[in-house]
Amino acid sequence: MDSSDKKITRRQFIKGATVAAALPLLANKLPFYGSLAHAAEESDLVIAKNGSASQLLQAAMAPLGGMGRFVKKGQRVVIKANVAWARTPDQACTNNPDLMSALIKMCYDTGAKRVAVWDHTCDNYQFCFSRSGLKETAQKAGADIFSGHGRNSYKQVEVQKGKKLRTVEILRDVLESDVFINFPIPKQHFATELTLGMKNLIGITWDMEQLHKIGLHQCIADVNTVRKPDLVVMDAIRILTTNGPKGPGKTEDIGEVIASADIVAADAYAASFFKHPKTGRPFRPEEIQFVKNAYELGLGEINLSKVRVKRVTAA
Amino acid sequence: MKKAIPYLRRTIQALSFFFLLYLIIKTAFPLELKIPVDLYLRLDPFIGIITILTKKAVILRMLPAVGVLLVVFIFGNFFCGWFCPMGSIIDFFDRILFRERKRSKASNDQSLRRLRYGIFIFSLVAGVMAFQVMYVLDPISLITRTLVIAFYPPAIFVFNTLVPQVQSFLPKNPFIMSTIPMPVFKVNLLIFVFFIAILALGTVRKRFWCRYLCPLGTLFSIISRFRVLKRFVTEDCTHCLKCVKECPVGAIPEASPEQYRRQDCLSCFKCLECPPEAVSFHFGLPRWKTVDGVDLSRRYVLGSLGLGVVSALMIKSNPLQSESGLKNNRLIRPPGSLPEEKFVSVCTGCGECLKVCPNNALQSTLLEAGLSGLYTPRLVPRIGYCEEFCNFCGRICPTEAIRPISIEEKRLLQMGIAHINKTRCIAWDTEKICLVCNEQCSYHAIVGDDKKRPIVKEEKCTGCGICEHKCPVDGEAAIVVYASGVQKKLKPEDVNNNKNEVPASPAKKEKSS
Repeated sequence: MDSSDKKITRRQFIKGATVAAALPLLANKLPFYGSLAHAAEESDLVIAKNGSASQLLQAAMAPLGGMGRFVKKGQRVVIKANVAWARTPDQACTNNPDLMSALIKMCYDTGAKRVAVWDHTCDNYQFCFSRSGLKETAQKAGADIFSGHGRNSYKQVEVQKGKKLRTVEILRDVLESDVFINFPIPKQHFATELTLGMKNLIGITWDMEQLHKIGLHQCIADVNTVRKPDLVVMDAIRILTTNGPKGPGKTEDIGEVIASADIVAADAYAASFFKHPKTGRPFRPEEIQFVKNAYELGLGEINLSKVRVKRVTAA
Repeated sequence: MKKAIPYLRRTIQALSFFFLLYLIIKTAFPLELKIPVDLYLRLDPFIGIITILTKKAVILRMLPAVGVLLVVFIFGNFFCGWFCPMGSIIDFFDRILFRERKRSKASNDQSLRRLRYGIFIFSLVAGVMAFQVMYVLDPISLITRTLVIAFYPPAIFVFNTLVPQVQSFLPKNPFIMSTIPMPVFKVNLLIFVFFIAILALGTVRKRFWCRYLCPLGTLFSIISRFRVLKRFVTEDCTHCLKCVKECPVGAIPEASPEQYRRQDCLSCFKCLECPPEAVSFHFGLPRWKTVDGVDLSRRYVLGSLGLGVVSALMIKSNPLQSESGLKNNRLIRPPGSLPEEKFVSVCTGCGECLKVCPNNALQSTLLEAGLSGLYTPRLVPRIGYCEEFCNFCGRICPTEAIRPISIEEKRLLQMGIAHINKTRCIAWDTEKICLVCNEQCSYHAIVGDDKKRPIVKEEKCTGCGICEHKCPVDGEAAIVVYASGVQKKLKPEDVNNNKNEVPASPAKKEKSS
């Protein structure tokens, strides 16, 4: 009897083994598994100001729990950048090359296996890549840069949560990625008032112009339900305030980088950079239709008072 | 040494063809090749002469062609036998397809042989009349056009189809192969059939095209009558007629193989494979007299002349060419094109601009520009638009029918004006917000009104067609670009210049660290 106390019975063994096997599976479903591993997370939305591009990014990521919270060793990272137009970096129509370089390097530093930068460009991709300087930047940092000009890069998916959009063709690489980072640049936009983080994701779809026909604001929200970005890094170092989204227009040096896992919150904050053309006051998030639609779809929090916002200074 | 010559010639022919292919493939985006990508066209003296006639000006780009004429004076029309890519293709298909065919004897081809002289005279006269459609027959222009329009798109199609197949074998994670945007051309089938027909003529006679039709060959023939390098036959000749059979252009008469028609000889040196070794080539003094020349009767010459004049007049008085109501206002010419009348007479229809256009915006015309505008480029915005920072078509045009203009000049050049069809436009016709055209316009020529409906500002519109291209309306776009007649320069202050609105102080850039 003594010996049987110490021994594990077959039943106990099977029970234990099942639990042990199931734990990691369950753990994936647990909401704060990531934050458990990296206890440093203390905010939902971080705004970093003052400093060089790489300093801003470091500062913005630290309170979120660091890049390690999002990118694990050996994972494939896909960054949706904004390389949509054949414009030079100082015109603020495309991403800041320094910040992109810092972002890619940060992903590699945390152990990413491969980083790919994607965009479905509006102008000819070769001109966009060369004039924006982002192809050179990405390749120097060790990432691949791709343009979605070929239809075979896309996969048709059903938009289950969508209100207006039923099916949409999304970049296959985005769907298959381990980590998906949205890397937008906020700009004024005549049709939708502003182009922010969620609007940036229109660039992962094939038939971008058709979305205008269906109903642009709802489609922007619907597309965002398909593959929620794990992380949003908003490039507000210099923003375009007129003639958006193609520019060239007036630019404004904000000098901020916003990082968040909540795309609606990030957009809600970035809206305040711009002045409403009629009232002259900064935009309130509810005034941007697609942000409101996304909030109603449960994609994130529109009310910044309910979000843990942290402002940090980089240098 | 003698035995090596046929192999050497075949190698050079193949190299020449693949070099042309390489140049055509390189006629694409960065356009940073040191050699001009239209090298072969620039070396073509037929194009050079005709363009001088039609344009009434010397084109500096075409100067290398004079060099070719000098070499022809020495070696005869060696170009046809050694370097012409069209000749290489004809020789190649002759070898692999028609080798065993029995061809009809080339005994009496006097009437056929003068055909190309007729064509040549016709071209010259028509050229003086500033009407030119004989470019269609120029071999260099023809082969470039055929490769670009008929063969390049299918090649890309095959490549793009193979990409996903290859991709499925490769490790999934990091490797992505990009496809190449496939260009499309409406006239591809016609050009393909024409090309195949030329090859098929090889069943009748070896190098039928070169002997009886090619206008460039005719020009070379006229000059190579004075050639310095000549064929000589010693008395060892046994009349075995091997050289008569071997000669690809039938330049050696059966009755007297010790003679040859100097003007037709390609200097391919096939006749050096002579069993008694009676044939040799030496330098000699240039002479006019030749054996068995073409019987260009006065009647024939005058006939060709008259035909050229009359057809040029016919074409000119056709309503498609004149200022009639039939004039096609959807005929948008590439940026920097010469005025329409001059453009159709100077453009060789070689297709280089169609190949270099990054957006496949340039399409070959069929009859939209009238007969003399056959195979000339036009902008079809629904297929592709004119890229803002691109001036490639002017940079590679061998005859400068599209002038080489700077990007700044190009951005101020009005090719056409966009018009909104309000009954089709989503924003005007429904309550929806669209404004794709406003968002895409590079020149701020489309503004929105207070209800977010687009309005075109004519003084800023360049007619690049990006709005028409991106318009989400199915079928015909709701915003359509119409040609503005003569391309005119816009006032710089009207167009939003890049530098105007950037704040005066570039301020704190992130490079301070």
